[in-house]
Amino acid sequence: MARGILVLVEHAGGKVDSVTLQLLAAGRSLATQLKTQLIALAVGHQLESISAAIQGHGMDRIVIVDHPALALATGEVQAHAIAQVARQIDPRFLLIGYSLVGMELTPAVATQLGMNALTNCVNVEIRDGAVTVTRPVFDSTQHTHVALDENARAVIALQKGSFAPIEPTSTQAAVDSVSLDVAGIPARSKVLAIVEAPSGDVDITKAEIVVSVGRGIGTAEKIPVIAELAEALGGVLACSRPVVDVGWLPRERQVGASGRTVTPKVYVACGISGAIQHLTGMRDSHRIIAINKDPDAPIFGVAHVGVVGDLFEIVPALTKAAKEAKA
Amino acid sequence: MNIVVCCKSVPGFVTNLNVSPDGKSFQYQGQLLAINECDEYALEEALVLKKTHGGQITAVSMGGIKSQDVLYYALAKGADKAVRVDCESQDPKVASKVLAAALKQLEFDLVLTGTQARDTLSGQVGIGAASRLGLPFAYAVVAVEVQDDKTISVRKELGGGRHADVELRLPALLCIQTGIQPLTFVPPARRIRARHQPVRSFSLPDLGLQAAELVPQGYRIVSVRPPERAHQVELLQGSAQDIAAALLSRIQESR
Repeated sequence: MARGILVLVEHAGGKVDSVTLQLLAAGRSLATQLKTQLIALAVGHQLESISAAIQGHGMDRIVIVDHPALALATGEVQAHAIAQVARQIDPRFLLIGYSLVGMELTPAVATQLGMNALTNCVNVEIRDGAVTVTRPVFDSTQHTHVALDENARAVIALQKGSFAPIEPTSTQAAVDSVSLDVAGIPARSKVLAIVEAPSGDVDITKAEIVVSVGRGIGTAEKIPVIAELAEALGGVLACSRPVVDVGWLPRERQVGASGRTVTPKVYVACGISGAIQHLTGMRDSHRIIAINKDPDAPIFGVAHVGVVGDLFEIVPALTKAAKEAKA
Repeated sequence: MNIVVCCKSVPGFVTNLNVSPDGKSFQYQGQLLAINECDEYALEEALVLKKTHGGQITAVSMGGIKSQDVLYYALAKGADKAVRVDCESQDPKVASKVLAAALKQLEFDLVLTGTQARDTLSGQVGIGAASRLGLPFAYAVVAVEVQDDKTISVRKELGGGRHADVELRLPALLCIQTGIQPLTFVPPARRIRARHQPVRSFSLPDLGLQAAELVPQGYRIVSVRPPERAHQVELLQGSAQDIAAALLSRIQESR
């Protein structure tokens, strides 16, 4: 009988990723309702600081798998290590952050454990007695609710920002160290190096105003129209992934899961539809303004102020107004 | 270097989106099926690798006869062979099992696919298939370098602008990130010529699979609809000048 809810602690460079406390919040809510244990699982090497950082955040137990082989491990190796431990714990649910790391781990762990996998989830709750997730589909324009069968076991991968982080309490969880059977892990891939994010000529994470452009702009020749607005507002120019993919702007300008996370005072989204990978990188901005010609664009779901209309009428008018106000 | 590229055919714009009565798939009225954009980048990377290292590219797609168009497109782009696996399932577990069985029938050093399909946004099938076959894998790969017959090294995204350089022993499976190579244009004449090339087809029994053993995941799709908005967006209307003035005052009060 599978029991317990396991949360995978995401960490890098001795620091816990913010998604972890969000997963623990989701896990705590499920564990309480399902009357089961919440267990945090950290896999890696030299995890003392990780264990200390998560302690007291709602879990009943912390399981640590600390081994030098996991210091710089590929997704393949990590997945084997996680599956090894999860087999012993036999959880009903394993919650993983749907980060670039979790995207790689989830299918591998689920396949090894013979568990169901639900990725790209933005919510998990108990609805009409069934554990139900919400996930964006069809280019994030639609949300689907998926109800797990009774007693179905699943790896549930949650997008960052789906839950508010759990508050710590004074309750201390027992910490168990579990050994790793390294011989049982294939050595077909290895990490050669970690390459830190390049600083580039601009740091979009430091700006108070970010004017961001998406594929809706149509052609590279139109980028200066948006760049001019960014300058007039005293902000920086950023963009969504497709704009980088086609080479219109450099990678360090990219906002979203694989790019940077920004929380400026004002975020102006120009021609950005609002795929979930983009929203996770900007939705905590204090005020979000969206300009898009499609009234159903998901960006309007997170925007505070919206304009349904033509970028090339609105943006130049706003640039002009901003310049006049400055003069 | 022999490369298999797995490409899914996906609808562009859909209408009347609904859940099938058994709760296992989406139903919709779709326009033409096209190659999933993420997978097209995998195909482009395969073409670049072939140019440098030789070998053959086999494009594989799972789906009904309508998905064959995607294979003709891959052939027109420069794939040497095409294989359609005759199975229509939107379930990632079924798809990875079927795809793994199909890959067993093919000779390859490398399998390339995209990161996710635009319709189901699951992103599970590539690594799911690799795990079933015991292949090393890497997700969100932004650069591939062939070291020798037995080894490749790749750069993959870790999120937030960080990357890892990873070495993998061949055969391996890579989920290619979008933007790794520019998408190339295919002249219509080549697309027409490609339609005269053969497409091999595998049925489930050809792969030693019975429909009964393809059990979908243990869940039921309850609904599909536009997302509920976290909060009501204030929509501005009027002339461009009026809107610009209103936007500017909102921006100024926020800074």
